[in-house]
Amino acid sequence: MNVSPTNETITVPPGDGGRSIDDLIASVSASRLTAFLQCRLRFYFRYLLGLAKPKSPALHVGSSVHAVLKYWNRSRWRSEEPGLRQLHDIYSQSWAREQEGEPVQWEGEEDEEKKAGWRLLETYFRESPIKPDEKPEAVEVTVEANLASHGLPRLVGIIDLVRPGGRIVDFKTTGKTPDPEQVAHLTDFQTTGYAILYREAVGKTESAIELHHLVKTKNPKLVVTALGPATETQQTRLFRAMESYVAGLRRQDWVPSPGLQCASCEFFAECRHGRGIN
Amino acid sequence: MAVKLIANYAKRLGLPGYSSHQFSVSVETELHDVTDIAGESQRLYESLQKAVDDQMQQTGFVPPDGYGMNGNGNGHGNGNRPQNGDAGISEKQLDLISRIVRENNANKAEIENMAVQMFGGGVRTLNRMQASNLIDELFEKYPRRNGNGNDRSTYQRQPARA
Repeated sequence: MNVSPTNETITVPPGDGGRSIDDLIASVSASRLTAFLQCRLRFYFRYLLGLAKPKSPALHVGSSVHAVLKYWNRSRWRSEEPGLRQLHDIYSQSWAREQEGEPVQWEGEEDEEKKAGWRLLETYFRESPIKPDEKPEAVEVTVEANLASHGLPRLVGIIDLVRPGGRIVDFKTTGKTPDPEQVAHLTDFQTTGYAILYREAVGKTESAIELHHLVKTKNPKLVVTALGPATETQQTRLFRAMESYVAGLRRQDWVPSPGLQCASCEFFAECRHGRGIN
Repeated sequence: MAVKLIANYAKRLGLPGYSSHQFSVSVETELHDVTDIAGESQRLYESLQKAVDDQMQQTGFVPPDGYGMNGNGNGHGNGNRPQNGDAGISEKQLDLISRIVRENNANKAEIENMAVQMFGGGVRTLNRMQASNLIDELFEKYPRRNGNGNDRSTYQRQPARA
């Protein structure tokens, strides 16, 4: 299939594992929205064509760490306090399960990565601001908001944790110590999306949004960035971005965005060799 | 033969509360001097722009802060209105919980206790987000059993939707 950047005459059927434009317009998550805004051609490869790529080690570590944090957070509902050994078992099970259906592109470093992921968790359990008896308002909850009255797709998302008092928490694993100002900017759509979803599902405004970065440096550390409730300006900006997303998909705008991000793009080869571009 | 010049001027301006308004004016005029297309275009542009700008200063209704959010009466229209206030557990979520109870011969009191343990209130007091999380727990508690396809794909998942 050929796709031109303007692509006025070509219809794009979903490929193997891909999704239709109508489906992608019906609902959108903040991460899919961000993917579209970062590079439309990458979005096309990933979502329209559904090209399968091996999972990156970093993503696999993140998924396994998230699984343990979910277990740990949910255990507080039952007033349980799992020990490190139990949590390590959960981590190992998740590590194996997460790559059953989705192979990971290991380059001989699986053991090291696994250890690094566990060290992150140990650090988190040691330094977390969350007390063992703190009952969550929600744990890894699926939420959605119908924005049809704004002429927009349904906004969907999964919130990692809501702490008492409406403190939305998102867990992130990263290899670099985050700068608070940059992080607030880079995660703007995501955090604003969570705020909208929370308000719709709970009927009140969140008190704060916390980003818990588990930093995979030589000496792992936890960096918590607390942001205030999403503002009207942030909400408007997100809605504008969603509007741009819909318009871009409708006109099948798959222009690439060459830049520094290409170095880590899983579709670099396809893009470089012109697949999908006239 | 008459030569026509067709001009259109359109403008869209953003307004607070994720709203915008737009207006356009089109004219079709006969061109008397075909050597002066540029001059006539300029005159039309200035004239149309002024006409549009004059009108667009009247913004009409501008949504106040929070309009369209938190169920303030703008009508989400998904047929999924909750019964315990705008953010209360939805009928669809209640139906799904009832179905899980029914199909697994589960003890209603036990599920009420789960809701109390997790959120400090019974099922009908939950908001949509809490109800979504309770349903997650029920899916874990009553996983797929061979033969009856009792899993997430069987039950239509009901997230905390507005």
